[in-house]
Amino acid sequence: MSNPVLLLLQDVLEEPQLIDWEWIRENFTEDIVPAFQGHIFLSFVSVAIALVIALPIGVISARYRKVYPPVTAVTGVLYSIPSLALFAILISIPGVKIGPSPVIIALVAYSLLILIRNTVAGIDSVPPETIDAARGMGLTNRQILFRVELPLALPIIVAGVRIATVTIIGIATIGAYINGGGLGALIFDGINRQFPTMIITGAVLATALAITADLLLLGLERYLRPWARRT
Amino acid sequence: MIEFRQVSKTYPGSDNPVVNDLSFEVLEGEICVLVGPSGCGKTTTMRMVNRLIEITEGQILIDGEPNSDLSGTQLRRKIGYAIQQIGLFPHRTIADNIGTVPNLLGWDKGRIKDRVNELLGLVGLSPDEYRDRYPAELSGGQQQRVGVARALAADPPIMLMDEPFGAVDPITRERLQDEFLRIQEDIKKTIVFVTHDIDEAIKMGDKIAILKQGGVLAQYDTPENILSRPDSEFVSSFVGADRVLKRLSLTRVAEMDLEPANGGTDRLPHISEGVTVKDALSELIGSGHTRAVVEQEGEDRLLTFEAIEALTGGASSGGEISA
Amino acid sequence: MLFEILEVYARPDFPEKLREHVVLSLAALLVAIAIALPVALLIRNTPLGAAIAINIGNVGRAVPSLAILALALPLFGIGFGSALVALTALAIPPILINASTGLREVSKDIIDAARGMGLSGGQILARIQLPIAAPVIFAGIRTSAVQTVASATLATFIGGGGLGDLIVEGYSSRGPEILLAGAIAVAILAIITEVGFGALERAFTPKGLKIAQKRGR
Repeated sequence: MSNPVLLLLQDVLEEPQLIDWEWIRENFTEDIVPAFQGHIFLSFVSVAIALVIALPIGVISARYRKVYPPVTAVTGVLYSIPSLALFAILISIPGVKIGPSPVIIALVAYSLLILIRNTVAGIDSVPPETIDAARGMGLTNRQILFRVELPLALPIIVAGVRIATVTIIGIATIGAYINGGGLGALIFDGINRQFPTMIITGAVLATALAITADLLLLGLERYLRPWARRT
Repeated sequence: MIEFRQVSKTYPGSDNPVVNDLSFEVLEGEICVLVGPSGCGKTTTMRMVNRLIEITEGQILIDGEPNSDLSGTQLRRKIGYAIQQIGLFPHRTIADNIGTVPNLLGWDKGRIKDRVNELLGLVGLSPDEYRDRYPAELSGGQQQRVGVARALAADPPIMLMDEPFGAVDPITRERLQDEFLRIQEDIKKTIVFVTHDIDEAIKMGDKIAILKQGGVLAQYDTPENILSRPDSEFVSSFVGADRVLKRLSLTRVAEMDLEPANGGTDRLPHISEGVTVKDALSELIGSGHTRAVVEQEGEDRLLTFEAIEALTGGASSGGEISA
Repeated sequence: MLFEILEVYARPDFPEKLREHVVLSLAALLVAIAIALPVALLIRNTPLGAAIAINIGNVGRAVPSLAILALALPLFGIGFGSALVALTALAIPPILINASTGLREVSKDIIDAARGMGLSGGQILARIQLPIAAPVIFAGIRTSAVQTVASATLATFIGGGGLGDLIVEGYSSRGPEILLAGAIAVAILAIITEVGFGALERAFTPKGLKIAQKRGR
């Protein structure tokens, strides 16, 4: 009396048409690894650039609150635009060629909202008494920022980095459509060639990468915040 | 009216009972205060009356009937319930909050509205001003009053109150206590009142049940008796080394039998007869005199250290204190 | 260029694509709500159930949308149905997480007071827990809605139709006006969804809670 779901799963995994393990072995170093590396490259570069832009904006928004609502509005709109549409708009701009560049631009644009918002929230979470004590001890504003506020804001900022990273890994898959490379290339190729093995390989690896990044950063977040956070 | 018969509560998986063989009776119209150190099971005991926690052994009888006869929900609609954190529903108006149980019981809208207005007036909040407000707009003290009004809404004969004045500052708390005692003079509910504060217990209680760790009843008696005749080392130390002074706070100067002054009272301090003997003693000591003038029934009388001493007597003489 | 873009909108198949996109998104959202809400309600009192739901939700949030849509292809074939299944699966996590957390975060004191006053379990759920959790639940639905509209753009890759078709057509046939027309239409649709559901969320927030939020209580 076997479970029908298990039977289906068995079928799916063993179906010679669905997963061609031969193909995977043969093309591992040629196709799969470069795609994987390309994906990590896209994601990493985008998160890094986004942080470089978002952190200063976040700090400024936390200090000068009037700036915050317009910043949130703009980055919010960017976040709302579906990725494929944003790619399309970007490559319509004269001078922007298809390839990794527009993909990175779009990925950076997507993560700004969450990174800025979490930077502000992180800085807000620093108790005013702590800052007062620091000022009383004679630290300059700059020293307070780097030695007190940012370190204390770190857990919340890392939470934002985590969400941004996972989002970026996901959307980077779509970037392959405009020749951005990455694991999405396997997926799109697989769709075009009607070759399920490529689709599944690309999809599963992208998912695994996203989940791994999520767990690693969650671990970092918990480590920075020993008083454990409920989701 | 509420009878505890050998009531015990042990949680599954635990060896030690949190409430152990409690037997006592709360008389109708009385406030019975459950007091003791943390872990003594006072809150658990109270919550067994309305079956928010179920008894493991024994019985609780209300008016002679076991409280397990009705379903939990039905039982609770007949018992007023006020807790320390108040638990007002933030998404409903004050009027809706107070009217919750009457609404459940099917009262018609007009009757509920009148009752809500009546209760708001009773707890000192102007109905027109507060009916349509939301809990977040009220201060802690105001919320606590609404909590009491809500517990009284369906006019239940019995009320359970768990540190109902706990969440406010001491000054507000004292005011709330005084007002509640005043209300109780009129409504005469049967109340089980939980507190960790012995002073609150002495002030509010007609009877006090002192509980020890593990839910054991240490003494059940009037405040006066507990203060003058503590049963055990535990009770006398829980009550505090200043229990003689505490006893003095139970009586007002007006109740004392004082000698007439007979002149020579120019330099002496005046003390109002409405204060407690304890506060009067404090004033007397602070004034630097050994005697003070009190106006009783239009006449000047003398309050002396000797008169106060006579009140306290020894532990065995009951002195002249009325309960 | 503007004129050419507007001409695309005048095409006879444009309303069709728009309708496909909206129907696909809406259907996926509604089915996701129909699955996620009851599950959240069922597990509201069991810590284990809640933990499982949150974890499924978190994993679900991390999975790339394209991956799920692409996986639907070998499993369910091409077309609207296949896309619907994938989009529904993608729409469930935000709603599940928010509904579950929202219900569990209703203050225990409030529930204790309600129970002590004699409200039955069902009455507590309907009159207390759901209204108080409503803003959080609607925030989850809003997130899911915007996400679904975005993912529905990708349905084109598995033959699901929708405005993504225009983007693909513009890209492959080098018709920049078609490309932009599709992209702008999708962007506007997404923004309308965000704003619309935002308004819905505010509408379903009980007045007393709005006041509490303002006062930081």
